[in-house]
Amino acid sequence: MSAQRASTAIRVVAAREISVKLRDKAFIWSTVFMLLLVTAATVIPVVLSQRVPNVRVAVQGATAEEVIALAAELGTQADVDDEVGPPIALLGVGGLPAAKITWVAAEPDVDLARMLRNEDVSAALVGDDLAELRLVGLQSVSEELEILVTAASSELQVAEAAEAGGLTPEQVVAITQPTPPEVQLLDVRPAGTMPPELLILVFSFLFYLSVLTFGMSIAQSVVEEKQSRVVELLVAAMPVRWLLAGKVVGNTVMAVGQVVVIVGAGIIGAVVAGQRQLVTQVVDGSGWFVVFFLLGFVMLACLWAVGGSLASRIEDLSSTTAVMQILVIVPFFASIFMTDPSPVQRALSYVPFTAPLLMPARVVQGTAEAWEPYVAAGVVAVTAVLFVVLGARLYAGSVLHTSGRLKAAQAWRGTD
Amino acid sequence: MSELRVLGVSRAFGEHVALDEVGFAVRPGRLTGFVGANGAGKTTAMRIIMGVLAPDAGTVELDGAPLTLPVRARFGYMPEERGLYPKMKVAEQLVYLGRVHGLDGPTARRRVAELLDGLGLADRASDALQTLSLGNQQRVQVAAALVHDPTVLVLDEPFSGLDPLAVDEMGGMLRRRAAGGVPVLFSSHQLELVERLCDDVVIIDHGRVVAAGEAGELRAARTRRRYRVVVEGLGPDGPAALLAAVPGATLVADAAPPGVVVDLPDGADEQPLLAAAQARGVVRELALIRPTLAEIFREVVR
Repeated sequence: MSAQRASTAIRVVAAREISVKLRDKAFIWSTVFMLLLVTAATVIPVVLSQRVPNVRVAVQGATAEEVIALAAELGTQADVDDEVGPPIALLGVGGLPAAKITWVAAEPDVDLARMLRNEDVSAALVGDDLAELRLVGLQSVSEELEILVTAASSELQVAEAAEAGGLTPEQVVAITQPTPPEVQLLDVRPAGTMPPELLILVFSFLFYLSVLTFGMSIAQSVVEEKQSRVVELLVAAMPVRWLLAGKVVGNTVMAVGQVVVIVGAGIIGAVVAGQRQLVTQVVDGSGWFVVFFLLGFVMLACLWAVGGSLASRIEDLSSTTAVMQILVIVPFFASIFMTDPSPVQRALSYVPFTAPLLMPARVVQGTAEAWEPYVAAGVVAVTAVLFVVLGARLYAGSVLHTSGRLKAAQAWRGTD
Repeated sequence: MSELRVLGVSRAFGEHVALDEVGFAVRPGRLTGFVGANGAGKTTAMRIIMGVLAPDAGTVELDGAPLTLPVRARFGYMPEERGLYPKMKVAEQLVYLGRVHGLDGPTARRRVAELLDGLGLADRASDALQTLSLGNQQRVQVAAALVHDPTVLVLDEPFSGLDPLAVDEMGGMLRRRAAGGVPVLFSSHQLELVERLCDDVVIIDHGRVVAAGEAGELRAARTRRRYRVVVEGLGPDGPAALLAAVPGATLVADAAPPGVVVDLPDGADEQPLLAAAQARGVVRELALIRPTLAEIFREVVR
């Protein structure tokens, strides 16, 4: 009966927190802004990297035409290869860029400079001899075009020289298209293209942002009830720990919801942009981050509620929540700067405040034993429970104190 | 029918003793006025009844059983320091408070609609509280105490800040609640109001209950043998002559003409006074003066 009452009361309080938050314009706009930011960050680079440049070239001379035809073929080939695997190395030129080359044959008397100035073409290739080819541009020549033309010309020159030397067509192919060595890694990490540092940074930032914004909103919600005096009605109807739990639950739901929406938008963006592989990596590596995010958030949320109840007015909040701000900022920087495995990193990954970020970071980096995150999660969970108890006590002791700020010791004794 | 009993409740804040073994009863179906000077301990006592503060000693019982959380959740409370959510819509926060008190959603919404209708605030239901006038905010505060159909009402200064019409409205509301069998306890500084409205009175002073009981009995018990005599044709020397004719009688200094206010000794008969008065003129009035609550209050608190 009492447990049922408690859960109902906590749900009712949590539901109010959520409905207030959902109508908070600042919250809505910050979420929309983050959504746009994440979508842009995932989609734009992919779109940019996938764009194949179109190059239109004027060609003068038979050899030039032969070279540009091969260059166009290589450019198309590179585009196809990109989607299959790493581009092949050719004649030491390295990976060839993808490009879509079209060309127009120009009569010998055509003024190429004028065509370039009129922007009919972006470059011109002139020459009847492989040794005397000229690539003409207005202010610059497209990098892709230059590499592809160089590669095509080299291939033709090699083929010419090989033919002159009396090699068979197979031998010519062996020279112009050598087989690259197979790359084999002995210690393959699950994180391939997504560096673990980036994953750590993203989660640290999300954690930092969530705890700071929602922590502050818990503190504000507590002090608002004190300032408007409605708290006396509430504590007459339910024990303070239910009220506290309802606030923490409501804000945790909102924080997790916001993160899920933002990360979800990022994942959908990445899938749409064709980065399925990246998504799989992120999802695989996120497990412990999510667990620690929840535990760490609840642990700090209770402290923020205490920070709120030690203040009597919104204006006092910045001083009573100073400790909490430090407890959020220190782990954030610790997790960003302590990326290299060290005894200190290992030790801090068990300290309740730094564990939520450093332990999953170590898991992603592969420096943690399988059992370690469980122990650290236990430490954080126990600390969270202790904070709920401590928070409820301080909250109960200070909640009717409606003038000036209160010292923690006063709140503990419950002096009115 | 349930009776609320406060039994030997003490509470100190540091060195200051706010309540010293306070005990009284709030009977069902009756309005009980809680009277005391500022700082006498009214608010502390009410907070302890509501469980907002814990007593150092003593208990509060309903029907002979110490209050538990589910029982207290059915109480209606108006704290001394008023307050609701300023930015929340009127109906929405009343529904929320109803649910906090254990109502389910549909019941809470139905009760709120009825209450707002009764208070004439139905058209303001979806306005933010802070946009309402202070008087209307006070009405919403009343609704907050009533939303869950309370089994006991504890109201700290419900009349403060109300205009005369609103006072009548509030008084009528309290009467109706009491008539429904609910014990109603309210504190007030307005002693005339308490006298007019209350069935029972509790007077508290410096953390101690100095008088408690039925208002009429309390006045009767404090009634001494003080009479007002109005005699037509009593000359300037009349009062002195009248007193001289009645053994042991003393003149009360603040008597107002044309009457005379006289204290008789304990146990003395008022008939000699009547006879003496009739001998000196036409007696228009001879009345026993019962002290007002204000007078009793001043006397016991002094």
